[in-house]
Amino acid sequence: MAEARRNLGLAAWVWLAIAALAIFELVAHPIIRAARPSDESWQAAAAFVRAQYQPSDRIVGAPAWVGPIVRSELGDLLSLRMAAPPDTAGIDRVWELSIRGAASRDEPPTLEQEFDGVHVRMWSLPGDELIYDFVEEISGAKVELVRADRSKACPWVAARQAPGGLERGPMTPRERFVCDPRRPWLWVGATVLADLDLQQRRCIWQHPAGPDPVRVTFTDVPLGERVLVRGGIDYQAERRRVHAPVTLRVWINDQMAAELVHEDGEGWSGREIDTSELPREPAIVRFETTADDPSSRLFCWSASSVRSRLAGGGRDE
Amino acid sequence: MNDARALNGRDHLIGAALCIGYLLLLTGTASDLAMSRDESFYVHAAKNAANWMSQISSDPSSAFEREAIDRAWRYNWEHPAWMKLTFAWSWLAHGHLGLFPNESLAFRFPGMLTAALLLWLIYAWGASVMRREGALFAALAFASMPRVFYHSHLACFDIPIAFFVALTAYAYWRSLADRRWVPWLGLAFGLALATKHNSWILPGIFLIHFLWLRRDQALSGKNERASIAWLPSMVLLGPLVLIGTWPWLWHDTARRLLAYASFHLRHVHYTYEYLGINYFEPPLPISVPFVMTLFTVSLTVVALCLLGLYDRRAALRPPSLTKPHAENNRRTEVLWGGCLLAPLLVIALPSTPIFGGTKHWMTAYPFLALFAGAGFLALVERAEISSWMGRRWPTWAFATLCLLPAAVETAHSHPFGLSHYTPLAGGVPGAADLGMNRQFWGFTSGSLVDWIAERLPDGGSVWTCDTTHGSWAMMQRDGLIPSNIRAEASMSAADLVLVHHETHFAEVDYQAWVAFGSVQPAYVLRYDGVPIISVYENPTEPER
Repeated sequence: MAEARRNLGLAAWVWLAIAALAIFELVAHPIIRAARPSDESWQAAAAFVRAQYQPSDRIVGAPAWVGPIVRSELGDLLSLRMAAPPDTAGIDRVWELSIRGAASRDEPPTLEQEFDGVHVRMWSLPGDELIYDFVEEISGAKVELVRADRSKACPWVAARQAPGGLERGPMTPRERFVCDPRRPWLWVGATVLADLDLQQRRCIWQHPAGPDPVRVTFTDVPLGERVLVRGGIDYQAERRRVHAPVTLRVWINDQMAAELVHEDGEGWSGREIDTSELPREPAIVRFETTADDPSSRLFCWSASSVRSRLAGGGRDE
Repeated sequence: MNDARALNGRDHLIGAALCIGYLLLLTGTASDLAMSRDESFYVHAAKNAANWMSQISSDPSSAFEREAIDRAWRYNWEHPAWMKLTFAWSWLAHGHLGLFPNESLAFRFPGMLTAALLLWLIYAWGASVMRREGALFAALAFASMPRVFYHSHLACFDIPIAFFVALTAYAYWRSLADRRWVPWLGLAFGLALATKHNSWILPGIFLIHFLWLRRDQALSGKNERASIAWLPSMVLLGPLVLIGTWPWLWHDTARRLLAYASFHLRHVHYTYEYLGINYFEPPLPISVPFVMTLFTVSLTVVALCLLGLYDRRAALRPPSLTKPHAENNRRTEVLWGGCLLAPLLVIALPSTPIFGGTKHWMTAYPFLALFAGAGFLALVERAEISSWMGRRWPTWAFATLCLLPAAVETAHSHPFGLSHYTPLAGGVPGAADLGMNRQFWGFTSGSLVDWIAERLPDGGSVWTCDTTHGSWAMMQRDGLIPSNIRAEASMSAADLVLVHHETHFAEVDYQAWVAFGSVQPAYVLRYDGVPIISVYENPTEPER
């Protein structure tokens, strides 16, 4: 009898627990839905940012999945470089529109404001001054396919763009250097790469053609204290980790300034070239890509000539 | 649990009501869902099959020649024919009789019918071994799983295989007590084989159950032994039905069968995001099917399933630890347990290719629902709910309370079924925070048709991302999207570009930025505040 009563008591508790679980689900469902910020909140937050926006500002969303919402409100303010920064040069402030308590940075912001569920924060990050962005200057460069005995210039043309789609690699820009129409991947131009972490990187597509270099030459380049060079391979090709390394050689005034050997698995990476000792006059800067085996070497690089605004040098992430 | 109560007319009335009610619900909500990627392939294959069947009546001698068969059946050769045949029959019938309001429903109807029949089957099997309340609860619990509801709409194989797996298990179970069911078992298994390869694991489950049963019987000292007649029926009739319904196998049979098996054993890996990591290659974490079940099935139903398993733990013990008892000499719980666990374990194996979504272990869910029904009954009986007031309404009220969260979530999940996550995951935004797969198959474009039609009043073109051109064409034929808004193959030649948000589609987002020189979507389709599709607008005259 006592055991029966004990069992009944236990069953009643389980019954209560299940009923509570059902009620929890029923209540949690509308609470979750109600917690999402309204369109008006996003618009008010965006208007606040827009009113104070400067061209050297970057705007991000947190968590990252709200990015499309933030860009739908403020994307007209963002250049491709600011939306897909290859490095942090030229970014003086970062605005963040966040929800659900997410944050993209740990340090205290310079400014913050709440808009009914959308939190706006701003950080001042005066660092490297961008004095020359090689990616944005690509149309003025000279591109050649170099052979042992000769080199062939690649013309700058307006050409049909790639159709786009999953696993198709970076989009071809409308205008680009076309080196060999029979090898449609052998072009040079500014695009946006999905790197190994699927992060967006504004960069110059310079697929190596083989052991002989594909060469891009920039003239009249203003040099600051450093040149930040970064490079990476499209995530689909790099994640397999089976292909040959890509070598990017950087020449400044005919002196080799850096050699980057990019191995699969490194992701978006690079190095800084110290130019502080070079003469303060416009330079000729050359970038050459090679690979023993060029198959699936969807290589893209960026370079920024920078000057530090702070004593003691600049910063980079 | 009883061994088997004979069902009566009232039971079948309830089963039929469940079946018809669900069918009406599915047909009434189907037009909200654009055809998914895979549906568009199966529709294409079904049309080929329909043409071939028409050829049989017009020119039977040439229709059976290898060339004609290969022409009709080469496309989508990697999937058996049964459901594609039913899609084709339904479409042909629609063509002659105008049965459906639109063409997509003609293709989808057979799949919906299997979903509806599955409710009947769950109820019938449940009512055979437990009180009707538990059986009804089980059927409704299955019907109100958000992802089951989504997949139940489709001209695909995932709900049909859940039906045929459950039907085969039911026929096997019946055949253990009644040999008249033996040939029906072979037929059911054949149809399961002819629907999808999930069926391959059934003989293994049955064999383990059967050995368990025989050991029970040996230990009990009885002379009576369950017959193994079911096995030759499955082994002989199953492949016959598979081959008989699949003309592709009528020539070069062995090589094509091997190619079919090899295709699925060495299946390409779908990219799948799980807990913040994008998996391109196996192994997926073992936890995937279990966590995804927790995150997509109502927690109350899962808890009742666990309670049902706990309540029936004595019947799940190995034979050596169990006292044989007359009222359950078929070990129904062991069979259900096998059918529940095996699909989850197969997906959890590190060597299994990455298939992706919950649909791949959905064959487990009818049994999850049946155990939930058993758990519900156990609780009602142990807590003596009915005796509180001497009436039955507290039982029904409790059932309603337990089913309500699932029903509410299912209603809210439509038409974003694959993006839906339960409160345990934090809902849709919580799942986005956790880095869970947001969607696949491009079906969410159906939620954009009004916006697109308004944006392109004079027609235009759309780069449709993960929505296939076949799906787009079906939306046009269904009248959902104007015929002068065409699907475009090239981003830069399109007026609008869609980007379905899955993590590995990030590159497509970036492609659109470069194609249009802008990172600003003209519109972001959201579900519970989470981006589902971004739409970019071409700022210039599209490049033709």
